[in-house]
Amino acid sequence: MNHSLLMALLILAPFVGFLINGARYKKHSANVAGVIATAAVAISFISAVLLVLDLVAMPVESRKIAVSFFEWMAVDKFKINAGFVVDQISAIMILVITGVGTLIHLFSVGYMHHDKGVAKYFAYLNLFIFNMLLLVLGDNLLVMFVGWEGVGLCSYLLIGFWFTDKEKAAAGMKAFVTNRIGDAAFLLGMFVLFITFGTLNFSELNALAPTVAEASWLGAVTLGTLFLFIGATGKSAQIPLYVWLPDAMAGPTPVSALIHAATMVTAGVYMIVRLNPLFIMAPNTMMVIAVIGAATAVFAATIGMTQWDIKKVLAYSTVSQLGYMFLACGVGAFGAAMFHLMTHAFFKALMFLGSGSVIHAMHEEQDIRKMGGLKKYMPITHITFLLGWLAIIGMPPFAGFFSKDEILAYAFNSPFGSPVLWAAGALGATLTAFYMTRLMALTFWGKSRVPSDIHPHESPAIMTIPLIVLAILSVIGGWIGIPHVIGEHLGHIPNMWEHWLHPVISPIPGWQAIDHTTEWTLMGVSVGLALISAIVAYQFYVKAPETPKKIAESIKPVYNLVYNKYFVDEAYFGGIINPLVNISRNTWYYIDVNFIDKMTYWAGDLMRGMGSMVRSVQTGNMQQYAMYIGIGVVVALSFVVMR
Amino acid sequence: MTADAFLFWFLAIVTLVSGLSVILLANPIYSALCLAMTMVGVSALFVTLNAYFIAGVQLIVYAGAVMVLFVMVIMLFDLKKDLQAFTRGILSGALKIASVGLLAGLVVGAIAISTGLLAEKTTDNPVTMGTGMESTKALGNILFSKYIFGFEALGVLLLVIAVGAVALARSKGGTHEQ
Amino acid sequence: MRAVKVEHMNNDIINNIGLNHYLILAALLFVTGMAGVLLRRNIIVLLMSIELMLNSVNLTFVAFSKYLGILDGHIMVFFVMTIAAAEAAVGLALAVSIFKRFNEVNIRFFEHLKG
Repeated sequence: MNHSLLMALLILAPFVGFLINGARYKKHSANVAGVIATAAVAISFISAVLLVLDLVAMPVESRKIAVSFFEWMAVDKFKINAGFVVDQISAIMILVITGVGTLIHLFSVGYMHHDKGVAKYFAYLNLFIFNMLLLVLGDNLLVMFVGWEGVGLCSYLLIGFWFTDKEKAAAGMKAFVTNRIGDAAFLLGMFVLFITFGTLNFSELNALAPTVAEASWLGAVTLGTLFLFIGATGKSAQIPLYVWLPDAMAGPTPVSALIHAATMVTAGVYMIVRLNPLFIMAPNTMMVIAVIGAATAVFAATIGMTQWDIKKVLAYSTVSQLGYMFLACGVGAFGAAMFHLMTHAFFKALMFLGSGSVIHAMHEEQDIRKMGGLKKYMPITHITFLLGWLAIIGMPPFAGFFSKDEILAYAFNSPFGSPVLWAAGALGATLTAFYMTRLMALTFWGKSRVPSDIHPHESPAIMTIPLIVLAILSVIGGWIGIPHVIGEHLGHIPNMWEHWLHPVISPIPGWQAIDHTTEWTLMGVSVGLALISAIVAYQFYVKAPETPKKIAESIKPVYNLVYNKYFVDEAYFGGIINPLVNISRNTWYYIDVNFIDKMTYWAGDLMRGMGSMVRSVQTGNMQQYAMYIGIGVVVALSFVVMR
Repeated sequence: MTADAFLFWFLAIVTLVSGLSVILLANPIYSALCLAMTMVGVSALFVTLNAYFIAGVQLIVYAGAVMVLFVMVIMLFDLKKDLQAFTRGILSGALKIASVGLLAGLVVGAIAISTGLLAEKTTDNPVTMGTGMESTKALGNILFSKYIFGFEALGVLLLVIAVGAVALARSKGGTHEQ
Repeated sequence: MRAVKVEHMNNDIINNIGLNHYLILAALLFVTGMAGVLLRRNIIVLLMSIELMLNSVNLTFVAFSKYLGILDGHIMVFFVMTIAAAEAAVGLALAVSIFKRFNEVNIRFFEHLKG
């Protein structure tokens, strides 16, 4: 089929869904709104599949479908088209977005069935998909930025969906404002890149990149990519701008699954992979990215170990896994980053939807101290969640194992990486296994601590079917990226993922292929650590529940620090937000009210005074007026006579 | 002093003194009478300027009709003495007199500077030639040929004035309808 | 010699009545009328002062008419006289209305345009 038509369908179907549901925003029927919205995303999914099939059929050298709909701006040398590109990278993204998106829309029909604003909800979800597609399909930084901002807006609207609750509304605002800080950096990055290269188009930037290898901190490419990365930390919740993601759990659970696990938060990773030839040329930026990624992975994992809200645990887990993806980008393993992005989308969305099913069954209760032994009541949810758990802790042959191990291998072996980074990654993997097992144990296994007035039951089919599909993907999703070391023993199965992405990922300068023995050792160590950690957590939380409490008591100050999220939010409020508010307030009072307003009053009074003065000429005394006439005549005559 | 000179000076003094009396006397009746005297003086001056017809018209219209009108209206108001006849305020009064004086000075000065620029016509002067009748005839001639439009317009004006004056001073007051 | 010359010139001005004399007389009458307009407070006297000014203008016109030897000055006097009479009539009608309404013709009471 015609590529322009398919591209238009792909992008515009969700937008039309948004318009239709938006116009009917007062209606209460979840089914009608849900059908419209799901149909819109399904149409997008089908268009995406058709486009990717066409892409696969093309020869490798020209594997790119580019459609430009119109020229958006042309100011002197600055030319931007509304252009969209499907190539190897965006093909993965559009399939994930529309595919997982359709499943989550289906789930939402069941989850939001009783909500009053359900049409508005589906309108926002569709708008989000539209903006996300703009983000990944845009062929230049500016169209991507439109989508970037748009998904930020939809995130705000959906997090604060139940806006009558002040805390939830505040969470939405926190997300938006934190994102804005990142966006400011993104804009600066765009400016620097435009000044240096004269274009914002991805293919042109990537073509010009190899000419500008840099070692300094203040070079244009380093600065530009650093700013772009700071923008990515805002959108993808890395240190220092991650603080909005845990609060974003105030939104409905399917929103957390779609936006804050599978798609929006991966936008930063996508952006870096898109511009990977440029980033490769700035080793300093790469180092920053790798260090922040690794630090975030460990940091968030430690916090996740102490949380009691099921969604908060998953939120910190997401921050941690995003850290892995950035670590991969930082060491040059862009393909591995995309791989982990995809597998993470599957199992994290699965676990969020699973937690949504649990919350629904527990009548909106989210505290895992009040759960336990739910596997008897919710078998399907339990089995699918279990499969997701196995994937995230990195057990072979599930999806997470392949992607995470590839990242760790690159971290160890790449010229941009180091054993320290590998060690941080391995530590993060261990902690991940611990807190995820803790979550499973406290929620599904062991003795039931469910309060007697809640009777949990399995969710309806419309909610469990997406769970099953995502579980299947979590199991088999990793098999398209089997590394050579394993594949050669299984009958020469190729690493399809690497072959697919090979033309668009720059080779790492100075890369030497990893030694097979080393690779096996690394894999063994990480799987072993994860296994040990999981068994320890099982012991703690199922067999001997008193042990973790005693350990927490013995290290009380450390435990308090971690439990309170290292007091980062409080630090931000005290050090940045409150001083800014105070400065604003003082500026308002001393300058605006006291000075500027007084100036304007003074000007007004001056006018009034002058008016009164002039008014005094009008006495109503006719003879005075006649006198003025006379004086005027005298003056005029004197001019004439004196000439 | 020659006879015309003496006549001129006499008439000039009379007119000026009457004019000053008009503005200086407090009783409005006295002012009106002095104005009548001024009109007569001016009429006499017209005669010395060989404008006989105009002199007659001045006497009939001004001294005869307009002044009678003024006196009638003053009698209607029955004012014996004006309270506060002159404007108050020494400063404004002084300013007024000063401006008036300046104006006088300017006009006189202008006249003094500019005389000699106009050539006096002494021959073929329709004004001074002949007796009163010829100049009057010539006057009528010009009035009905060159200035016919103005003449007709004046007629209309007089009609409007007549109607207006009646409308303004009606018993129920001005132009207010019942 | 000088005394004779001055006397001559003085005699000249006194004896030889020319255009200037009439014009200066008219100017003096005019400013007298103007002073009356500015200084007097009775409406009727105000109107009379205006008549005085108009008369002085008439005098000027006739003087010039004789000096230049054309009759247009007389025609102007015609017109001025007519209009002055008409204006006096209307002015007096207004004065009568005012008197009927306010029972006063002193303009110190009529400062309604103040402000």
